[in-house]
Amino acid sequence: MGGDRPGILGVAPSGFQEKYDTPFQARGPARMKEVFIGSENLLKLIGRWAKDHRVYVPVTFDIMNNEETPDYDLVKDAVPETMQLHGAAPAHSAKTFVFYPREVVANYPSSDAEANVEAPSTVVVGPRGCDVRGLAKFDKVYWSTKHFTEEHDDPFIIEKRESTYIVSIDCTAAKETCFCTAVGGKPFAEEGFDLNLSPLGAGCIVTVGTERGASLLAGSDDLFREVTQEHKSERDKNRASVTEAVDRQNAQFAIDQPYDKRDLASSEDAWAYVTQNCVGCGACNRVCPTCTCFLLVDQRAKGGYERSRNWDTCLSIGYARTGGGGNSRPALAQRLENRLRCKFEYSRDRYDLVTCTGCGRCIDACMGRIDMREAIKHVVTEKAKA
Amino acid sequence: MKNLYRPIESVIEDIKSETPNITTYRFRPKEPISFEAGQFVELTVPGVGEAPFTPSSNPNITDTMEITIMAVGTVTEALTKMKVGDTVGIRGPYGNGYNLADFEGKEILIMGGGVGLAPLRSLILALFDDVDKYKKISIRYGARTPEDIIYKNLLPEWAKVKNTEVLQTIDQPHPDWKGTVGVVTVLLDDLPLVTTVGVEGLPFNPETAVACVCGPPIMLKFVNVALLDKGFKPENIYHSMERNMSCGLGKCGHCMMGEFYICKDGPVMTAAQIAEFDDPF
Repeated sequence: MGGDRPGILGVAPSGFQEKYDTPFQARGPARMKEVFIGSENLLKLIGRWAKDHRVYVPVTFDIMNNEETPDYDLVKDAVPETMQLHGAAPAHSAKTFVFYPREVVANYPSSDAEANVEAPSTVVVGPRGCDVRGLAKFDKVYWSTKHFTEEHDDPFIIEKRESTYIVSIDCTAAKETCFCTAVGGKPFAEEGFDLNLSPLGAGCIVTVGTERGASLLAGSDDLFREVTQEHKSERDKNRASVTEAVDRQNAQFAIDQPYDKRDLASSEDAWAYVTQNCVGCGACNRVCPTCTCFLLVDQRAKGGYERSRNWDTCLSIGYARTGGGGNSRPALAQRLENRLRCKFEYSRDRYDLVTCTGCGRCIDACMGRIDMREAIKHVVTEKAKA
Repeated sequence: MKNLYRPIESVIEDIKSETPNITTYRFRPKEPISFEAGQFVELTVPGVGEAPFTPSSNPNITDTMEITIMAVGTVTEALTKMKVGDTVGIRGPYGNGYNLADFEGKEILIMGGGVGLAPLRSLILALFDDVDKYKKISIRYGARTPEDIIYKNLLPEWAKVKNTEVLQTIDQPHPDWKGTVGVVTVLLDDLPLVTTVGVEGLPFNPETAVACVCGPPIMLKFVNVALLDKGFKPENIYHSMERNMSCGLGKCGHCMMGEFYICKDGPVMTAAQIAEFDDPF
């Protein structure tokens, strides 16, 4: 990922290469075996998974305003008829399955030295290329890597990551706010999945990414057929057409002049302009596939106290506030600047990752209709003028 | 796997008032906690939450830990209501401390402002344990008023230690104060340097001397400028960075400053490390 595509949001200009050197990537050589499965048989396969695992699939919900963005639902007795493998990414990003919105991480005073983690075996069908890419940030922050020492491995994330099978899906359409190709990504995953599904008219190509992924197919040979040249060319055609659609709808956000990531350190005025409609609600943080930050909250609980970890937002005024009232980012514009520079600049420096994956969820979620593609373009363009 | 978020039960063994709003607590953790001078811990007041503090006690003592705390926020206010025998929680230590091996054979300037002397005390005590290794220890401390001075009884004792001097100032003139008046940077005005004409005693060699600074952000800013002006090298000026370190593990994000996590890369950072920031303090 990353690399030779022209990054209209400035990902590629300096020849930057992302590094996916995480424990997930080191999980063994990808066999990349491929099989074809018909639509009926896919329902059977998912049904078999549901006997041994919690299985989540994207479904369309019948809701009042008739929104059609699918979201995850748990497969109970049968695979829901409303399962929707086509289209763009589900409403929630894949992080939700490894990083819960709220989770108790310690009970005290008498807490075990060992972490008590509930991590039932789970199969998540539906993450897109952007979501899979987002999980790399979690792996780097929470899993032992060269960045941090092993003593800081986070059991709550790691055990869930270990017990969760990622079954990614190629996008077969782009929503207006999709811009994965502008930040070095693609509308399909090439690594970081256990299995990948490429939806075709009459079924899917199933690609095996890891040994664990292969284990999900074991014993189900009766359901598969060989992948034909027609299947492959249908997949390639779909991938090319979605890539082209994403490219086309983002041409208007292209930044003409070459620039360096440091150009995001622009004038206060440029960031103030971008922040005009921001109310600091943090919706963008919550839907973001790479927002890893959290708030620890202590409260009374049975037998003493409990400490929970909760999704946090760097846009809140209290986020960086210290005892006595000091605050390194008192202005909302400073906080939004920090959020966007974290994605494009700080994560590059620290994790060798661009942590905007172009999923577009922050644009969809923003009540102020702030579009980060416009924001970045504005800031860089103002810098060039200065 | 080890639970990183678990506080270790610690009993309050002693409470000593330093000033009207600053108190030194001595804790006895159920499991010994060893730390290096400059590292910090997360202190839990049960049911209220955690806050980061650098211990004030000698790092070579692991069965008890002292922390000098100013009551300014939710956790610290709640702590003032606790009594000897009550239980709190401690996690840590976290972050980088001072690399004392680098200090050997050099003059060491310690600049404290207000309660900022508290974290420096663990450094001072660690230096005193090996006092012969260092050329000189100069402790320069500023407080707002005579009433705000912490470690009132310890400062004269420190001045008696070999190769050690203690200089003090208060911000405003006060009837009970006979010494230097002015913000803490006035204590740098006459800093003897090897280049100073007619210098006596043990002057500082700014090429190699080490400075350890802790205090309010505004003080760090001005002391940093003054020290660079005296010729101190950015890589030898150590600041204690104040950020909202919450998890201490480089994960929660609250203490981020650009690509740095202060809880991992700090809290002690050199002026060279933070030079890229317009206003790091």
